[in-house]
Amino acid sequence: MKTKQNRDWEGVWVFGDYRNYFQNRVTLQLIAKGNQLARNLGVDLTVLVLGSQIHQYAMEYTAHGADVVMVVDHPNLKNYQVETYVRVVSKLVESFRPEIFLAGATAFGREFFPRLAKRLNTGLSADCVSLEIEAERRLLIQTTPAFGGELLADIITPEYRPQMATVHPDVFEERIHDHEATARILYPEVEIEAEERVQLIRSKPDQSRKGGLEEAEIVVVGGKGLGSKENFQMLFELARLLGGDVGATRPVILSGWTEESRLLGQTGKSVKPKLLITAGTSGAVQYTTGIQGAETIIAINRDPHAPIFKMADLGLVGDVKTVLSLLLENLKKRL
Amino acid sequence: MLQYSRLILMLKCPESLVSAHHNYLVNQMLTPGFLLGDPDSREGFYFLADVVPVGQSEPRVYARLYDAQGAFVLEIEPKEIVENPLGCVHQSFPGGYRIAFPSGESLLSVQTESFANGFLTRMQGKLYDQEGKLRIEPSYDAIQIHGEVGLWLKEPFRKR
Amino acid sequence: MNIVVCIKQVPDTPNIRIDRERMTIIRDGVESIINPLDRIALEAALDLKQKEGGKISVLTMGPSQSEEALREAMAAGADEAILLTDPHFAGADTLATSKVIGRAISRMDPFPDLILCGKQTIDSDTGHVGPQLAEELNWPQVCGVTEIHVEMNALVVKQVSDGFQNTYRVSFPALLTVSQGLNVPRHIPLGDLEQAFSNGRVIRWGLKDLNLRPEEVGFSGSATTVVRLYRPPQKRKGEVVSGSSQTLAEHLIAKLVSLSILDEDEAE
Repeated sequence: MKTKQNRDWEGVWVFGDYRNYFQNRVTLQLIAKGNQLARNLGVDLTVLVLGSQIHQYAMEYTAHGADVVMVVDHPNLKNYQVETYVRVVSKLVESFRPEIFLAGATAFGREFFPRLAKRLNTGLSADCVSLEIEAERRLLIQTTPAFGGELLADIITPEYRPQMATVHPDVFEERIHDHEATARILYPEVEIEAEERVQLIRSKPDQSRKGGLEEAEIVVVGGKGLGSKENFQMLFELARLLGGDVGATRPVILSGWTEESRLLGQTGKSVKPKLLITAGTSGAVQYTTGIQGAETIIAINRDPHAPIFKMADLGLVGDVKTVLSLLLENLKKRL
Repeated sequence: MLQYSRLILMLKCPESLVSAHHNYLVNQMLTPGFLLGDPDSREGFYFLADVVPVGQSEPRVYARLYDAQGAFVLEIEPKEIVENPLGCVHQSFPGGYRIAFPSGESLLSVQTESFANGFLTRMQGKLYDQEGKLRIEPSYDAIQIHGEVGLWLKEPFRKR
Repeated sequence: MNIVVCIKQVPDTPNIRIDRERMTIIRDGVESIINPLDRIALEAALDLKQKEGGKISVLTMGPSQSEEALREAMAAGADEAILLTDPHFAGADTLATSKVIGRAISRMDPFPDLILCGKQTIDSDTGHVGPQLAEELNWPQVCGVTEIHVEMNALVVKQVSDGFQNTYRVSFPALLTVSQGLNVPRHIPLGDLEQAFSNGRVIRWGLKDLNLRPEEVGFSGSATTVVRLYRPPQKRKGEVVSGSSQTLAEHLIAKLVSLSILDEDEAE
């Protein structure tokens, strides 16, 4: 909410998202960073845990650096549900008035935190890749990607509290588990209204990523610059020889050269392979957001000014089809 | 640190200490340890759920217990019954133990859940002091303490 | 079923230029498109209209040129287009944007049963407007929907979230944000586009039409402020090589060797 007296708001909070706990480490990473921010401000770091029979997570968060753990343990909170959680958490925020509230940018976080921020009438930045304190005004400097990461924006929330942000996983490093740690633990008595207009019917592990494009170590991608469906087929041979998989841009899909499931980009898949070879793609943002996580990018395009070269580790300017043919020839001799 | 004077909390907010390693579940809160009464006295009720040091995983419960009429029942230490006028039995089972009357009726059960990196002990029992007053009773899956808790423990009370 | 599809016109260029004074990107003279996920939302609306009947309204908050996006949507099959435009609306963060759009939807007649929007935009990428609009209207929400089915008095939708595939039943009225994989938008014939641009009527609402005060909207109504907009430090080496195809192929092979994907000594 809008506030004239920022000094009424104190403390750094982290929302404890403990689903998939041992794989999903983002809350632990946030506790480590939150701790640093809290020390900067001279306040406590509190981790908020909602759920049913969540004692284990209260203890894990203690081990990873929480000064305070705030627990609401109730059977109606067993499943993460947006409306119920917004109701409960907003009451807690209004009572305890933290100046900063962080959550991991998990799918749930990105669905729950904006609604919570709106309920609290405060500002929220999404998927931050950096957080710093400007001590004089007790401001949180929130750095978020824009344009799929092509740009960065530094954002502040000067007149509203709490300052909220969701944070990208793997940006910060968690502290190692400390078995000797202790923390204060609070059990606020808050009414749980669990009327949900969204009823969970069924939940099962998502298998769609297994063995697919997202898991490939090497990905070769083709764009319209390949010229034809026949030329595009070369990529399958290349992928086979290198032990990788094939991706495509939207113009290729729209031309019917390959199936939709190979689409990479903002409306397709995102991949983070060890190596990505992108051939005949100009580098439109809708596409490049899906590949920027690749460790090494090699781009081939006939246009020396193609934007794709700005994000490649190695750029080759030339005739895509010929270069690929020569590459295939060479590989077939070796392997 | 939070300034206590600055907030008028609208919510009632029980508070405890939590340990990363081992906690007892008491009054619906986690705590590393707690103490009722005086364990060093020669007579009278006491209940000590002592802090479990890192490296160990078994709960450390010491108590001197009476019945609803105020008659002495027994004195226990973590692994055994040390004074046993009624012939109660100590029964072990996976993850815990039970102290039972000769009739088979349970007096106190102590069960420890193991997590990847820590332990949680839940106890159940209806326990009285030398005046026949109820001091501890079952609540949900653990216990509720009546009246004042003598001491919430952060360090072991009894060094092994 | 009365459906509102919220769309946003976004720049269609990889060559972004920054307006350092206003801390935004320069949009004038830049090719624009309907945000791809919003196009998917519109397609979902068209599918639902085909099955259930009803009316589709497309709505956007933006400068005057956003009208192009609305006309494109009408060419695709939307029945009505509303442009929320006013100098006061500029510089809005999602808190202020959801306020304006929410107020606009509240004054629509007939009142909608369903709001669809893309899960996020390719420019600001926050994904906040959907949930914040749902909160503004006090409607239930499901984000990142990959399947939509209509039942008696509810919607059954699927969502992939944090490694789980969830199926939900949501009561009407509801807001859904859509994810890739929901559908593949149909191609809009050129003739329809021309029609929409010459004939289609776009309703325009500004600050006064929505009965809002200047401090509730735009920059004044925002809680967050962008203090700096910049390119991240180039983390890639960016070596660009020209030459004969043979030379290029050799460079490529050398790179694969250096990455240990190929072994060194194979005969050429």
